[in-house]
Amino acid sequence: MKEFARRMVGIDRRVIFLLIAMATLVPLLHPFGLPIKVSPEVKAIYDYIEALPERSVLLLSLDFDPSSKPELEPQAVALLRHAFRKNLRVIGMTHWLTGTSLADDIFLRVAAEMRKERGKDYVFLGWSPGAGSLVIAMGQDLYKAFPSDYQKNPTQGMPVLEGVRNLRDVDYLISLAAGNPGIEMWYVFGKDKYRFEMAGGSTGVIAPGLYPFLRSGQINGLMGGLQGAAEYETLIKQKGTATAGMDAQSATHFVIIVLVLLCNVFYFMLRGETGQQRTPG
Amino acid sequence: MIFLKRQLPLAITFVMGVAFAFQYYIPHPISEEAITSVSKWMQIISGFALALGLVSVFHVHWVKVKRQVPGWGYSLVLFVATVVTAFVGFRSGGETTVDGVKTGLGWLYDNMMVPLQGTMFSVLAFFIASAAYRAFRARSSEAGVLLISAVVVMMGRVPLGQFLLPWSWDIAQWLLNVINSAVRRAILIGVSMGSVALSVKIILGIERAYLGGGRDQ
Repeated sequence: MKEFARRMVGIDRRVIFLLIAMATLVPLLHPFGLPIKVSPEVKAIYDYIEALPERSVLLLSLDFDPSSKPELEPQAVALLRHAFRKNLRVIGMTHWLTGTSLADDIFLRVAAEMRKERGKDYVFLGWSPGAGSLVIAMGQDLYKAFPSDYQKNPTQGMPVLEGVRNLRDVDYLISLAAGNPGIEMWYVFGKDKYRFEMAGGSTGVIAPGLYPFLRSGQINGLMGGLQGAAEYETLIKQKGTATAGMDAQSATHFVIIVLVLLCNVFYFMLRGETGQQRTPG
Repeated sequence: MIFLKRQLPLAITFVMGVAFAFQYYIPHPISEEAITSVSKWMQIISGFALALGLVSVFHVHWVKVKRQVPGWGYSLVLFVATVVTAFVGFRSGGETTVDGVKTGLGWLYDNMMVPLQGTMFSVLAFFIASAAYRAFRARSSEAGVLLISAVVVMMGRVPLGQFLLPWSWDIAQWLLNVINSAVRRAILIGVSMGSVALSVKIILGIERAYLGGGRDQ
């Protein structure tokens, strides 16, 4: 038995890779579609958007690059679908240079699906350097910070920006972030000074680090990883890639848990043996 | 020269540091105009930081290629990729789409950058699983608590876990909202107080490492 345990502890990592690959692929090919439970932090974002009057201004900052696309793109798509369905005016931008084209593509795709017009219903401002100082510049004068949008159209006089001078005129801001610059930066340089309500969406890895901001009310809602996106898709009753991916994520979590528990069983079986083998001193 | 290297930067840091610390509390039009102008300066400086970063990356990898250190081929790939992307970028006028049609730069972004970054990130799942199998062991009571918490949160955050162990959802939410928040808050307060102390030291000229060469510069 101990020999078996010894062999299992030193198992070839390619076996683990194969198990993870199967746990990802099989549910994608044969989804089992378990119900998605909605957390209060995701529901808070949905409720806030639901309560906004038509043509309110939502600023959606897509602060991520292609490496976080699988987790954050579904969040962006679900939020945009909800905002466009509610007929809100959406201002898009990014603080991540390498994510600019990806963010523009998301806006283009969802706007086309919801039959929304660039410049009238939404605008994508693109990227500009500065991060925190850019937020301050937007808080002072949006048109000086972004004289033109991503398509080089002048922002001044755009119907979507009617009545919007700076960040004080934004009704709700959501930063979907894979790190810094992202949610914390928007709070420190933006919300704290220019007084708008804001929420965040993040990758699963950094979500636990944002809970203090949620508990203190500095952000009023939080979407964490693919699970957060799937919860939002459940709320807007429009399933997307997040809901489809949750089965794969469920199975992968399950395989990792089983592997970790098994390894601990083998570890305890061998623990006495390694203690005996250890040379004193 | 000492005036330009030491006294002038210290004076600029002191004046700007004090002025913009107070600016936050003065909602006068002049003060607001000042922060608008300065935020533009900061954006321009950030732009230069990008160029500086590029020069630094080139320098590091050029040395690797020149000395042919192990893995120098990857540095060569970096140069080739940068030159090709820059060439295509200039040819595309820096645009990824023109009138809804993808440019060469857009093609590079969609077919190189997106899949490469996605692959890098997704490969992490395999290595995390392998590392967790080998390293996540209950060697002590503290490690045991961490292991149990991790298992409960991993179960509670996915539908399959919620289905198999319905109580895991509530416990995972409690762990995230109470225990995790308290610990993170303590770390955040510590880090923030450290940042404030460091900022004060920089403004007062006590901390001078940013001038280059450390305290004695």
